[in-house]
Amino acid sequence: MLFFSFFKTLVDQEVTVELKNDIELKGTLKSVDQFLNLKLDNISCSNESKYPHLSSVRNIFIRGSTVRYVYLNKNMVDTNLLQDAARREAMSARK
Amino acid sequence: MSFFGFDSSLPNQGKGGGREKRTATPDKPLDFDETYQGLGEYQNEEDDYLNNETFGNATDLGTDFDFGYGKGELSSNSAPSAAQVDHGRSYASAATTGPVVTNPGYVAAAPHSMDEGMDFTPMESLWTNQPMMMQHPQQPQHPQVLSMEELERQQQQQQIGVPHGQQQGYMGMPPMPPMGYGYAPQAFMPQAQVMPGAAYPSAPQGMPPQGLPLPPQGMPPQSMPPPGMVPPQYQQHAMAMQQQPGAHQQAVQQVPSVVSPLAQQELQQSPHLVPKAALPASAGVVSDFATPSPPHLAASKSASGQARLASPSQMAPSSQDSRESTPRGTRRGSMRKHQEPLSQDDFKRLQVRQAKVDKILRHSGVMTPRDKDFITRYQLSQIVTDDPYNEDFYFQVYKIIQRGGIVGESNKGLIARAYLEHSGHRLGGRYKRADVALQRMQSQVEKAVTVAKERPQKNRENFDGAKEGVLGKISSAKNSKAPRRQLQIPQQRDEDEDLGTSAIEDVVESLNGVDISSSSRARRRSSYAFRSVDQRAVLSRSGGRKFVLSLIETVYAEVLDLEALLRSGKETDSTHLWESLHIADDAYEVSPFISILSFDKGVKIMPRIFNFLNKEQKLKLLYCFFSELSHLNIIVTSSYKTNPDPSDSQLKKIELFQSVFLKIIVSFLSSSAEFLEVLGLLLALVKNNNVSFISTSKIGLNLVTVLISRAALIKQDVSRGSVLSSVEASSWNEIYDKLFTALETKLAAVFPPEEYTSKVVATSSNGTPTSATVGQSSGHQFYDQSYIWQFLASLALSGKLNHQRVIIDEIREEIFGTISRAEQLVKNVPVEEQQIALYQRDKLYQDLNLFLNVMGLVARDGEISELK
Repeated sequence: MLFFSFFKTLVDQEVTVELKNDIELKGTLKSVDQFLNLKLDNISCSNESKYPHLSSVRNIFIRGSTVRYVYLNKNMVDTNLLQDAARREAMSARK
Repeated sequence: MSFFGFDSSLPNQGKGGGREKRTATPDKPLDFDETYQGLGEYQNEEDDYLNNETFGNATDLGTDFDFGYGKGELSSNSAPSAAQVDHGRSYASAATTGPVVTNPGYVAAAPHSMDEGMDFTPMESLWTNQPMMMQHPQQPQHPQVLSMEELERQQQQQQIGVPHGQQQGYMGMPPMPPMGYGYAPQAFMPQAQVMPGAAYPSAPQGMPPQGLPLPPQGMPPQSMPPPGMVPPQYQQHAMAMQQQPGAHQQAVQQVPSVVSPLAQQELQQSPHLVPKAALPASAGVVSDFATPSPPHLAASKSASGQARLASPSQMAPSSQDSRESTPRGTRRGSMRKHQEPLSQDDFKRLQVRQAKVDKILRHSGVMTPRDKDFITRYQLSQIVTDDPYNEDFYFQVYKIIQRGGIVGESNKGLIARAYLEHSGHRLGGRYKRADVALQRMQSQVEKAVTVAKERPQKNRENFDGAKEGVLGKISSAKNSKAPRRQLQIPQQRDEDEDLGTSAIEDVVESLNGVDISSSSRARRRSSYAFRSVDQRAVLSRSGGRKFVLSLIETVYAEVLDLEALLRSGKETDSTHLWESLHIADDAYEVSPFISILSFDKGVKIMPRIFNFLNKEQKLKLLYCFFSELSHLNIIVTSSYKTNPDPSDSQLKKIELFQSVFLKIIVSFLSSSAEFLEVLGLLLALVKNNNVSFISTSKIGLNLVTVLISRAALIKQDVSRGSVLSSVEASSWNEIYDKLFTALETKLAAVFPPEEYTSKVVATSSNGTPTSATVGQSSGHQFYDQSYIWQFLASLALSGKLNHQRVIIDEIREEIFGTISRAEQLVKNVPVEEQQIALYQRDKLYQDLNLFLNVMGLVARDGEISELK
């Protein structure tokens, strides 16, 4: 649940998603589910000339398994809190 | 049964049957002269000489023909000519009078009597040879004037036109809705045969669907039930077919081709009518047409020539041509004036749309709402939890932090909203009740929480719970549950490591002459022993690096537990936390707590630890801290003696320690520490540490400053009401003397050398600026010495006059050095940097005066004067 919980805090923030096929999409994260499927709005492709078919796409649903990276702005993450959350998760798994 | 006097019960009777029916009309015997327009007589019939060429000359006038199946396949010469006979009539009516022209006559007359139904002439042409005469004039024109396509178009028109007239004539019905009307003759037949259900859009009269397939199966049309519409349609169709000569097969064959698009259009017009049927119907039309048509035609007294048309081999290839040759627009225009003509594109679009609707509806209704709710609930159960602060910790706390502690919309509400968007019902469906939809989803979320509660806990008993990865397969489930083990390190290796560690320890101990057997109370706390930035030595003396790291994790776990308790409003018990800090643990030479502070995360957790400790525990902790200050990694790091070349990360560490731990100490001392407690801490510091070494580090100097200034403040604070007891006062003097003795002759050493300060400035201006330096802009940083002057000020404040004298004597050079530096700054500086230089000078004076003011002095403009 940690990553799901984490990504939920990114909803309505702008993120860049790199897919496993090297496509990079920048857009506003609209929703995420437990599989980390993502819904992006107002997307723009960082390499539009290579993937022209995406130039007319505004929003997109991305299957979580196809995502390689999600690039975040530094200030979107509370690292101390994330550490705590990770510890809590590890603790609850241990119990 | 006679249908409007039309006896169609004997399809095989040939032409004679038709005539008899006519004449059998009860009202008035049909007189041929009345029905016959007499065209053959009055119209100019030129080009009669072409008749033979067109129709063959084998047939004599008056020859009887069998149009039905009575004589089997059309094989003789007479058959084609027979077909041509009626076809000729069709041409005649189409070309000369045209359907529109002929119609008015019938329309008016039809309702009243059959006699006046002049439009029976086409029928007559089937049964008599007379029309043959009147076709002659027209016939020759076609080859000359008309192209094949035009010809076909005319045939279509007449195909439509003739039935049109007849229908009204026969039925005496009010004009039918044009929709079903116009193309009924074409659309009706194949639909009825292929897909009875699909046919009813074409029968606006409400014809029972089951009636449709029957007549073609050979049922006599007379016996048709009242739905009066059917027989005429058949009739029309039969007519239409008959009018197509065998020689002009394209014309006939275009029937199926026309049908298929029409059938679709009709369905598209009324998509609510079993849209499923549309595609199969249209798809099957062309191929299915061939087989069912023969019986149909036979039943409706089709010409025997039609049998040939029925053979599929002829139908299939030609159907395409005829489709192309049939401009949709003209058909539309003439037949469906109420509707805008559909272009090919529109039509395609309609088709696509229809296919889409069909797709959507194909599986609609497979699941009941209850089923859907069930699915939703289990899907939701994966993303909700009844314990949000545990399982959804990051999100929950993050949101609270973001909103500044105000809890916004409930988590469940958010989930419901988000999921509603996912499922595409956010508009509320058909009734646009978005609020209702949201409410429903919210209740679903509530239920899902229950489901989640019942869900077998992960990593507990039931690993492969039935609802694991509910309604979605987690492909890597196996890996995530049972990850492959890391490389297994042989047991022996661990022993080696132990040996290594103990060897280091041995070396360290022998080097420093520490008596290992002595109890920890007798720990030798020589600060000189571990003046190394390398913390391994210190760590190894407090249990080793791994032990300390695991300690920190235990501390975190305890703190998190306590915080969870606090959130749920339960009592907190800090015993476990206290034990995990190992402050009173004598088993190690250096307290593990001191080593915990060697790590950033150990420092960061301190404020949270302090939240749960009581005052006694805090005091113990600080006592331990000040007692073993020399072992503290940060002191070693921040001392210019042991670490003359600080790195950026080290400076950051120092910064972190200052901002986190020093702050706690200051706030604790100022809020709850008694005078004696402060003295106790100071004593612990002075007694157990090499103060002169500690004072060479920024952190150490800060800590000493904090203690003595706090003690001085309490001492001077008259508002406390209680004057210091003599015991307190004497112990304070005693401790101060000790401290001063330790510092005496080394006071100048608190000032770091020039090289060190410049390095710090260089490092921090390259990296992140820290509080170690000050300056108006990043380009003009200089080392901030205020902490030194603060220390000297508080030392002087608490000391007597002779102490102050010693201080001034020892640091005189630094005082004058600072003054001259300040004056130097302003002198040799270009105008543009004047501002910066002035700021820097003021800062230097300001810091210096912190100290000088204590003794009633002030430094200004390069001179020291008495403070007024």
